[in-house]
Amino acid sequence: MGRIQKNTSKLFRKSCDLTSPLCLVLVTLAMLGLGIVGLFSCSQSKESPYLKIGLPEEPRSLNLWLGTDANSRNILSQIYQPLFRRHPETLEMIPWLAQEDAVFNEKELTYTVKLRKAKWSDGSDFTSQDVLFTRQLFSDFRIPRYHSHWQVIEKAEAPDDHTVVFHLKEPSAVFLPRVMTAPMVSKKEWEQVCKDALATEKPLRYLQDYQIEKPLGTGPFMLQEYKKGAYIHMVRNPHFFGRGQTIGNLTLGPYVDHVLFNIYGTSDVAILALKKGDIDYYWWDIQPGYLKDLEKDSAVDLHYNKKSALYYLGFNLRKAPFNDKVLRQAIATVVDKAFILDRILQNHGNPMHSIVPAGNHFWHNPDVRKYGEGMDKETRIKAAFQMLSDAGYSWEIPPVAPDGSLTKPSDILLPSGEKMDKFVILTPPADYDPKRAFAGTMIQEWLRQLGMNAFARPMAFNSLLETVKGKHDFDAFVLGYGKLDLDPGYLASFFSSKNDNPRDWNMSGYRNPEFDKLAEMQKTTVDVQARKQMIFEMQTMLMEDVPYYPLYNPHIIEATVNKRFGGWVERVDGIGNIWSLCMVQPVK
Amino acid sequence: MAKPGYILLKLVEVGIIFFVILTALFFLFRLSPGDPISKMVDPMLTPEDMAHLIQQMGLDRPMWEQYLIYVKNFFTGHLGVSFHYGEPVETIIWDKLKWTILLFTTSTVLAAFVGVFLGKIAAWHKGSRLDNVMSISALVCYTLFIPWFALLLLWILGFQWGLFPLGGVLTPALWISNAPLITRILDVLHHLMLPLLTLFVINLGSYLLLMRSSMLSVLSEDYILTARAKGLSEKVIRNKHAARNAALPVITSVGLSLAFSINGGALTEQIFTWPGIGKELIFAVSNNDYPLAQACFLLIALVVLCANLIVDLLYAWLDPRITY
Repeated sequence: MGRIQKNTSKLFRKSCDLTSPLCLVLVTLAMLGLGIVGLFSCSQSKESPYLKIGLPEEPRSLNLWLGTDANSRNILSQIYQPLFRRHPETLEMIPWLAQEDAVFNEKELTYTVKLRKAKWSDGSDFTSQDVLFTRQLFSDFRIPRYHSHWQVIEKAEAPDDHTVVFHLKEPSAVFLPRVMTAPMVSKKEWEQVCKDALATEKPLRYLQDYQIEKPLGTGPFMLQEYKKGAYIHMVRNPHFFGRGQTIGNLTLGPYVDHVLFNIYGTSDVAILALKKGDIDYYWWDIQPGYLKDLEKDSAVDLHYNKKSALYYLGFNLRKAPFNDKVLRQAIATVVDKAFILDRILQNHGNPMHSIVPAGNHFWHNPDVRKYGEGMDKETRIKAAFQMLSDAGYSWEIPPVAPDGSLTKPSDILLPSGEKMDKFVILTPPADYDPKRAFAGTMIQEWLRQLGMNAFARPMAFNSLLETVKGKHDFDAFVLGYGKLDLDPGYLASFFSSKNDNPRDWNMSGYRNPEFDKLAEMQKTTVDVQARKQMIFEMQTMLMEDVPYYPLYNPHIIEATVNKRFGGWVERVDGIGNIWSLCMVQPVK
Repeated sequence: MAKPGYILLKLVEVGIIFFVILTALFFLFRLSPGDPISKMVDPMLTPEDMAHLIQQMGLDRPMWEQYLIYVKNFFTGHLGVSFHYGEPVETIIWDKLKWTILLFTTSTVLAAFVGVFLGKIAAWHKGSRLDNVMSISALVCYTLFIPWFALLLLWILGFQWGLFPLGGVLTPALWISNAPLITRILDVLHHLMLPLLTLFVINLGSYLLLMRSSMLSVLSEDYILTARAKGLSEKVIRNKHAARNAALPVITSVGLSLAFSINGGALTEQIFTWPGIGKELIFAVSNNDYPLAQACFLLIALVVLCANLIVDLLYAWLDPRITY
């Protein structure tokens, strides 16, 4: 017992010693000392020759087949390259790893693609064998996102090292924008991995989980070092085919030797880092709340660009009363997009009138039916009231009194005379996307002015998707796509009757045989102008039937520091693109 | 002092509880809405692609089969491969855990030592100006809102005065240029300072208040009066007679805090871009990364269970009156 007490007393005395005032003073001194060391190291790092880019999160993986999130794509898109890519300004498809435009033989249904004399980052040649291997890999592993589009190819052959002939099963409108924009991988790098993977029970999982240390690519940069949780260091690829070449009227670099990606957990800290000069560009959309502060800083340039995005109100057309087109049109009429734009987006965006965003100027149909445009609140309610009254809806106390003034209405009655049930507008929660959550609340208020018992309900994003996409158990919802493909092929995905299945993309349950017919036809229409007419017609139909009602399209706002680097290339979806990385150069 | 039989019984108890947690975790995650691919809102991803991904993850199999595989893997030392990162979860957890221990465990230990010391002083000077200042400061520290305080420190010490870096764990330029080891260690410590200071200040309040209140109740005991009557010095009464007994509830609290410190803290990690396990845990749960989330929770459960066991045994060692 005595020994135990002695031990206890010893332990306690030690702890007291450690917390003596002397110890506190030492800790304080150590912190100050480290602060000075930090000052020294910070001043050194500011002179470094690196282009420093901030990312909001760590990339998921640098394995191309797993790293499908935005941050991984930002890194991987500097390494793996497609045969064709879009011009930053005209958005037309232009040859990239391909030497020239693909030649289409309508009779034989073939595309002949001539390849550039490019090299992989290890100095080996990029050849048609790599293209054939990539195609085989998509097929063998049924690579998500690529396999479904590459299925249109019946066979591919390589007459020589720099020519590939693709034989199609049927004409394909999306051959260039969807098939030829897939990243090419090196046969040398992946052949053995693929063989090993195919021998396993779960080949795709094996391929995705394969840890790749130095990805081999043909892009402007290659990976030098990835220190997880800290930074990604990329260096200029000496074998990049584009260096010094003029592609799409731009003479490509890259003009910087090193790119350093740093992670910043919050926008607050990333903005401070930008202002302090710790980074040259923050590769993320800046919220309008930061703009006032950044506008005052002469060292910071702000870039405003349109986004290929769609934020919308969707209805469940599978159930009453939302299967009534007039009701949907009336709801569309009372939604005040100008208010959403002004109050929610703080005027950093555009109201959307069609499913295809206006920034996608080639495919966007500006002449679709526009609801409530140019109307004030009173006129919108009156117009919606008129539409509903004409269709047989009624109220005990209507929203518009006989003298034309607005009143607080009683609950709306359906044409059958029954009271319309309470309905719920599902939205993502405010901490996930405040814009969509607030838009849902505003729509709820506008609908109540028509006597509709609408309730906006924020729901965890996982549950929201499960409810809307998986179970189809909802009334209405506010959702969005932050990055829509520039090819409007998604119209067919979103609204074709055949996609009205659980977990499929036709979440509204829209069924229109005429639309389905056009959706199928446009897929195989290679003539761009003819396809454009069809896409226009599809947009017209959609805005007449309103399964989705497009709400807004926010601008993408980005910030760069102008002291060290300039030459960022602006395009739809912002300056964060491979063109910028190829064009940015030190400021003289 | 704990007897061997008691220790054995406790170990069996811990084992059973751990297995229950292991099972509960499996079903809890499977029953939560969505699956690992439900958040992928990408129109390029067809339903066939999704079904293929689910099949490759083994989630198309019946629940009982998945459970048996999970239990078998666990007992053969395989915690699985993260759906999100494609890496073995052990590797991910270890990568993050070292940073979490460095920050959160250090801050807990430091705050506990200083809190105990200051709490003892405050209680000894009960009602004095020193006590008032310490108690009010401790309350303020205890109620501080972490994101606000962390951003304030970053803004003043990191941005305005430039004394510390704005987050992260190291300065890339130093590491790329292969700076000497001592410089790199100092660099990491330099990055550690701001998050450490934040957590230290926030934790300090609770330990100080706990020690103060425990010490106050001990000081009213008869044996303290006896000690005074014996003519012992104030220092001896305070440190040997009062503080030693008052420290018992604090030890429980510190033990559990140390165990829970491996959780990290998502908010602190997010703001300081500290690559710890807290943010990863939240991410794994919200993205249905079952293997990673399960492994993280299992680790926490194991550490907490062990910490409880150790605190139990430590009690018997520290207080001779307690026997099992």
